Amino acid sequence: MMRITISSEPRLLNILRAVVKFRAQEAGLSKPDAEHVALAIDEAAANVIRHTYGGRHDALMALEIRNLPDRLEFLLEDWGPKVREDLIRPRPLDELRPGGLGTFFIYTFMDECSYDPDFKEGNRLKLVKFLSRKGAWCNEGSSAKSG
Amino acid sequence: MKVQVRNLDNISILDCSGDVDLYSSPRLRESLLAEIKADGPSVLVNMSKVAYIDSSGIATLVEGLQHSRQTKTRFGLFGLRPNARSVLELARLHKVFTIFENEEEALEKIGSVHPFGGL
Repeated sequence: MMRITISSEPRLLNILRAVVKFRAQEAGLSKPDAEHVALAIDEAAANVIRHTYGGRHDALMALEIRNLPDRLEFLLEDWGPKVREDLIRPRPLDELRPGGLGTFFIYTFMDECSYDPDFKEGNRLKLVKFLSRKGAWCNEGSSAKSG
Repeated sequence: MKVQVRNLDNISILDCSGDVDLYSSPRLRESLLAEIKADGPSVLVNMSKVAYIDSSGIATLVEGLQHSRQTKTRFGLFGLRPNARSVLELARLHKVFTIFENEEEALEKIGSVHPFGGL
């Protein structure tokens, strides 16, 4: 298990990406899959900066990475206002407009995606990538995707 | 990420290098929208040195495409690396953008691109 705490500065996202990609490859994912997982975590962190913190760069967020026998778990924590999970939706792909793709990439590249309802202050987003399903892009069974 | 602009005849080429993410995409947006203008040159984005692009980078390219349609500017991308191409394909944008394999092909064919997108 490892835990990184960084300020909500967009220029630090490359650090998160590098760590996630390294740990994902170390866990056995192929380079393309590890890059996709890094993209998903990057998008989740970017959402925290843009939406939860409203672009503030002086707040904190933490990423915990758990390397389990069958999966990688990523817990992304922030201390901003509670996220309305029911309002999070990837945009339809037939709409040509900027924005809205981040959530789509998260849902596409991760196997599970859910918020911890018991996290007291702020939000804890749990993203899971099963190692036995490496290479699988489109996933089912996630609580967040079912809505 | 760095963006450098080259002007060749009636074509502007934006040479991008590095990661295009939430931090750097505003720089690309600024350069892109400055080059795409009515009665301006065709605009090509060189992606061959872009190691990473996220949704904010893709949103910037979509905004550029929309702006090019409004200004009737020919607009295209070239040199996409596999990871950038794969996310564009996944988002079903690879058929929306005019994408060339390399600069040579882009320079040869950009004049045939319809200003509203597509060859």
